Amino acid sequence: MILYITTIVVLLLLAPLLLSFIKSLKMWLLFKRPTSIFQGYRNFSKLLSKETIVSEETSAITTYAPFLVLSPLLVTMFFLPPVVQGAFYVSFVDAFTITGLISLSTFFLMLLGLDSASAFGGMGSSREAFISALVEPAMVLTVFSVSMMAGDLGVGQAGVNLAAHFPKEHMASFLFAGISFFILLLAENGRIPVDNPETHLELTMVHEAMILDLTGVYLAIIETASSVKFVIFASLFVSLFLPFGYTYAAPLAIFVFIAKLFGVAMVVAILEVNTAKLRLFKVPNLLGIAIVFAFLSLITFYVLGA
Amino acid sequence: MFLFDTLSLIFVALILLGTIPNLFYSFGYLSHIERKRHYLLHYFTFIFSMLGVVTAGNALVFLFFWEVMSLTSWQLILTEVEDKETIKAARFYFIMTHFGFVFLLLFFLIATDGNIDMHFVDMQGIVALFPYPTLLFFMLVFGFLSKAGAVPFHVWLPYAHPAAPSPVSALMSGVMLKVALYGFARFLFDVLYPWPLEWGIVILVIGSISSLVGVLYALSEHDIKALLANHSIENIGIILIGFGMGMIFDSLHLETLSTFAFIAAFFHIFNHMSFKSLLFMGAGSVLHQTHTKNIEHYGGLIKSMPLTAFTFLLASISISALPPSNGFLSEWMIFQSMLGSYNISDTSLKLAIPFAIFALAMTGGLAIACFVKAYGISFLGLHRSDNAKHAHEVNFLMKTGMVLMALVVMSLMLFTPFYIGWFDKMLISLHHVSVYDKMFPDGFWHMHSVAVHGGVVSPLILLASLLGVTLLLVFAYKVLDVKKRVYHTWGCGYKTTAKTQYSATGFAGPIRRFFNWLYKSDEHFHKEKIMEHETKFSDAHYEVHVKPLFETSLYVNSKKLINLVSYWVYRLAHFEQTRYAAMIFNLMLLVLFSYRIFFHAFSWATFVLESIVMIISIKVLIIGDKK
Repeated sequence: MILYITTIVVLLLLAPLLLSFIKSLKMWLLFKRPTSIFQGYRNFSKLLSKETIVSEETSAITTYAPFLVLSPLLVTMFFLPPVVQGAFYVSFVDAFTITGLISLSTFFLMLLGLDSASAFGGMGSSREAFISALVEPAMVLTVFSVSMMAGDLGVGQAGVNLAAHFPKEHMASFLFAGISFFILLLAENGRIPVDNPETHLELTMVHEAMILDLTGVYLAIIETASSVKFVIFASLFVSLFLPFGYTYAAPLAIFVFIAKLFGVAMVVAILEVNTAKLRLFKVPNLLGIAIVFAFLSLITFYVLGA
Repeated sequence: MFLFDTLSLIFVALILLGTIPNLFYSFGYLSHIERKRHYLLHYFTFIFSMLGVVTAGNALVFLFFWEVMSLTSWQLILTEVEDKETIKAARFYFIMTHFGFVFLLLFFLIATDGNIDMHFVDMQGIVALFPYPTLLFFMLVFGFLSKAGAVPFHVWLPYAHPAAPSPVSALMSGVMLKVALYGFARFLFDVLYPWPLEWGIVILVIGSISSLVGVLYALSEHDIKALLANHSIENIGIILIGFGMGMIFDSLHLETLSTFAFIAAFFHIFNHMSFKSLLFMGAGSVLHQTHTKNIEHYGGLIKSMPLTAFTFLLASISISALPPSNGFLSEWMIFQSMLGSYNISDTSLKLAIPFAIFALAMTGGLAIACFVKAYGISFLGLHRSDNAKHAHEVNFLMKTGMVLMALVVMSLMLFTPFYIGWFDKMLISLHHVSVYDKMFPDGFWHMHSVAVHGGVVSPLILLASLLGVTLLLVFAYKVLDVKKRVYHTWGCGYKTTAKTQYSATGFAGPIRRFFNWLYKSDEHFHKEKIMEHETKFSDAHYEVHVKPLFETSLYVNSKKLINLVSYWVYRLAHFEQTRYAAMIFNLMLLVLFSYRIFFHAFSWATFVLESIVMIISIKVLIIGDKK
């Protein structure tokens, strides 16, 4: 139980660090002077001490939606697979529930965008609705395929099963599912090539457009939500598709896990440096690839058993 | 005469849950209706006829109440005859419902062997001797699913539901469609059992297509009630996916999975009844206050109608299948039952199921988009028209109706095991195995799937943890005691007005563009340019209309065909006597030639020669010159 709580706390503390790490790594790769990797914490504490400015056009949704954006993600943190062998984990929550919780968070984020009556908010919500509608089928199919290889749909149990018995005999379908999930990781977290988290240009904004009217604590909450979401996806990817290092002693296992999270962050950063953001209407092509890989994974599993 | 088994009683419960809140709402709405006596008479007859349909014990009583239900709902659509559209919608509904009725009548005539007041149970013996059971199955599909609104018989819904007064739309969409599904289930289980594998696949395919088509047309719709009607098509599709999976598992002798899938379908029937009624009530309240159905003219209603906005939000979360709502739970069960396709040994069937999963997941994603649109554009932002500015909260009775229906939604979410216990008992009475103990092996906290690698969901724990974490966050926010300042929305230095917000058309824009191959949308763009500049204009107007594919391809074209045939029949009836003589001559020629072909030697040369003679003689003598 102590390990369980420790892991959650460590992951929560790590959340802003990972995004700042991506940012500074990107800057370093582009020969810019990188920002500190602790910038995320600095922003957070700065925003907490600021006053909140609320638009006069807004309603109760703006008052409560930020909390409802964050809380499903925080709840999801409790359901992630264990990092260390023997640690407590919630075995009963399955992948559909986690997908649903993430959608719930997105749902309130989209309402938040529409609440301030600004054209930017509506634009962001509209684009996010479009992208997340296409993410949903790929997500469910990938989850379906992974659950069969892991022998359980429960996320915690699936992580444990995969660590105990890596599905060497299903390597092909496992790989396809992994590719699909990684594309979903990029799409759900608004990374390049789906969305650019650093721009504030109306042509390219998706996530940023929805939260353009937020300041202070509300902005801090939403920023935390997006970093927590990244941690959730990264740790799901790590526990389901890179399930090694789980059996080591507790501190080492946690260290290996964190190292893997940074590895994922590094891959994301390198991808971001090397690709351009896709036009909104090209995004379905990328997500279509994810859907096709998810299907391929299922079909190879069924037909070839590989 | 009447039958009160578990299946009937469950649907009686469904009708009661759907109508009691509706009664309050309806009485609150009554001041809005001019022909009160006409309305009340048909309203109550409608409710009683639905109760009659689900408790009918023989074909005659069933058909009687079915027809009363159709006719009263048809009259209810005609309550507010203000424009021609309503009359057109009512006529369309009348034709569609009788289209189904014909097939039902045929089904009963065959299944009862003409003895139409026979008990349902006795029909099984007659059907077992009937050589073409698939014919009977398709009669059920045509008869009941045309009433339930599955593709391709869904076309009447987006016309009929908006035309009816809102309490009636809530009843029609929430309850009447389910009564049709009751009929479908009743005769499949009682009369046509056992089912071949193909029937289940047919239902699964109809369900998948309906769910996608429904949600896609809902997205492009701007009339709030038509949007909700399209969502009914979607949800009927989801129910049919569950139903189809149940049938497939049953014919493959996977009994527990079959029961599980059927429970999922019946649970979704209840859920859809609850949230769709609530949504129609909310839409009705908004319509009552703003006098328009176009969501582009709403906006900002959450400030003036907080209760309506809150109940609408609850229902939106539920219909979008977001946890921990009841809509999520039933959709979760349907997903789980599809996960059970792992146990199917037939590889091609196994490979087909992921496509249904794809359809269902896509539907879920698009439904979220659609309800963000419906909720965000109607209730959030600035008032988009003067009508919306003058709206205020509806009267007490209507509020009571909405709150009661919200309680029904909540009860379905909180007491899931209780409802599932009902469905389980019902399926036991229909000779299926019980899965209740497998689904709730350790109390009511966790709901297990019966699929092999299935998951677990714990609705109450989810709800409690979500509420707990949210309250904790709100509490932390209060403790921080943040200074709050009210300022206007940032609009690049320009003023934020109702016109600068995103519209519903704009919101659905990316999705409409992506699915343009289906929508074939008709765009009208007009702007008053200043000095012939492309980018400077004083006034602009953009409108987009989506062509309903099924309506144009199936209905309008068949209408054209019928018109063509009737034109020729008309021509035939108005010939002169010489023409009739010519026709008789041609018929004689035809008989002689056919006699020679069929009963004597056949040779292509004479066949061609005779055909040419026939064609020339028909052309010259009968058709004559074109005038």
